[in-house]
Amino acid sequence: MTVSITSYLMVALILFCVGLYGALTKRNAVVVLLSIELMLNAVNINLVAFSKFGLYPAVAGQIFTLFTMTVAAAEVALGLAILIALYRNKATVNVDEMDQMKR
Amino acid sequence: MDVKDIFSYDWSYLLPEFIILGFATLLSLLDLFAGKRLGKQVIGWLSLVGVVLAAVFVFVNVNTLDKPYSYMADMIRIDDYGNAFKLLFLGGTAFALLISLSYLKKGEVQHSGEYYYLLLTGLLGAMVMASSADLITLFVGLELLSLSSYILVGLRKKSLQSNESAFKYVVSGGIATAITLFGMSYIYGLTGTTHVYEISMRLAEAGMAGYQFLVYVAFVFLVVGLAFKISAAPFHMWTPDVYQGAPTPITAFLAVVSKAAGFSLLFRVVMISFFNVTDGVGRFFFQEGSLYLGLMAAASMIIGNTMAIRQTNVKRMMAYSGIAQAGYLLVPFVPPTTLFFSEVIFYLFAYLLVSFGAFAVIMVVAQEQQTEDLKGFAGLYHRSPIMAVAMSIFLLSLAGIPVTAGFFGKFYLFMGALAQENYWLSAIMIVTSVISYYYYFGIIRQMYMRPGTTEAKMAVPKGIWVFVLVMAVATVFFGAFPGLVTDYVQTHFNPSFDFGNMLPPNFQ
Repeated sequence: MTVSITSYLMVALILFCVGLYGALTKRNAVVVLLSIELMLNAVNINLVAFSKFGLYPAVAGQIFTLFTMTVAAAEVALGLAILIALYRNKATVNVDEMDQMKR
Repeated sequence: MDVKDIFSYDWSYLLPEFIILGFATLLSLLDLFAGKRLGKQVIGWLSLVGVVLAAVFVFVNVNTLDKPYSYMADMIRIDDYGNAFKLLFLGGTAFALLISLSYLKKGEVQHSGEYYYLLLTGLLGAMVMASSADLITLFVGLELLSLSSYILVGLRKKSLQSNESAFKYVVSGGIATAITLFGMSYIYGLTGTTHVYEISMRLAEAGMAGYQFLVYVAFVFLVVGLAFKISAAPFHMWTPDVYQGAPTPITAFLAVVSKAAGFSLLFRVVMISFFNVTDGVGRFFFQEGSLYLGLMAAASMIIGNTMAIRQTNVKRMMAYSGIAQAGYLLVPFVPPTTLFFSEVIFYLFAYLLVSFGAFAVIMVVAQEQQTEDLKGFAGLYHRSPIMAVAMSIFLLSLAGIPVTAGFFGKFYLFMGALAQENYWLSAIMIVTSVISYYYYFGIIRQMYMRPGTTEAKMAVPKGIWVFVLVMAVATVFFGAFPGLVTDYVQTHFNPSFDFGNMLPPNFQ
């Protein structure tokens, strides 16, 4: 039994939207980083699905996925490191309280 | 596509990239093993040597290479388009290093070694972005630049502002990356390849085969995501906060190098990929596509210039001014003409001189006055006339007033838009430029007409003094003789009007 490409794309799209919603609305900084990870993983699902069911199936998409995963890991590690530096100066992970520069 | 042995390539064309990579690696090792014993400045000077050496080899490439050289199916592609942008990046990084040498003496950033080699890795990312025609390599270059600049922004670890702006940068950058990638994944799905030139052909076929909607969706995602990097309107909200919190030389680096890198990537990928796509009437990119970019340009100019008026913090004001500049830079793409390449390179060149000069002055004044407020500039003319005059030249150039390089930059863009009969965009450009005079002259008013808290001579570090003077003279010089640059660009980078060899010969 094969699942059609539309199902994969729908899952990826839903995941992307959930991630975007989370990244824009959540107050906890860790959850925001987590939401970004969701968005990036939606891309991975897209790429892998396309590499089998795309208009021109090719392995390039799976290779692309390896790169996106690596970069996503680096990005979130960096985000957490910066968050820790921030936490040392001001004990909060609440995005609403990061308003030093509001004018 | 023929498969070649990696040893059969002539790797010497990649020397600029190898030099930067080598210097970044060696300097990080040097800092690790001998960082305590070496003076703090040594690594900075060594990085500068690396950047200059790389620039020399880019010039060698410019003079020896008469047609594009491609590595591994365009994973890396050495062409004039990339070389021109690379020279801008190398110049920008060299300037950033020069003003950093003085900035780091104040000790706000403890990790000076990391500061220097992260600038080099950021530069390497930018260079990869400018010289690749493959989505994977372009993405990796983009992220190398982004990740380096996230750290650089947050390098003042003890400052809450710096931490905060770095975190905001990471989050908005992460969202932008995800959006860009989502667009790229649709492009890949419709074409089955990451090679930009093949994408160009297959995307047109996909558009004809009834997948037009997906093609448009991919376009919008790609452009919106990349707008983040150039800080253009739909994605500009991070700019003021990040520019304000970052160390001043890094702000200048973001304003010039990072923005120019974003442009080089945006134009190459978006333009080539969507070049052949038709909407049934004509080329999609030259109609709806460039209309979309035009709306972005208009929004950036309006938002940037009107919001800048309200700012009292100088770096925040420069951030909004940077958003407006991104808007101006998008104007020649509505739709792109054969002249757009030299227009954009000249504008970026003028912007490079002026931004670094202005940020150097801002840095000195802010460090001396302990405030980044506009009031810090009060009475500067009486305390350091040369700094005040130089700053006035930079501001006039940013505003686009004659006998400065910035004037001709804007003038070329404006004439280009008029030649395309793009009257609405030209009108917005003129009106917003006039609005921008208000806040640029605000600084000038402070410098000459407001009494400062003190009349004492301002102590300006020698290095900065020379740097600012050279930038000011260059701004006026290239304002008087803009032909020197445009002719150089035209003869060396764009002799056949094909956007610096960006378009392959069979393109029509």
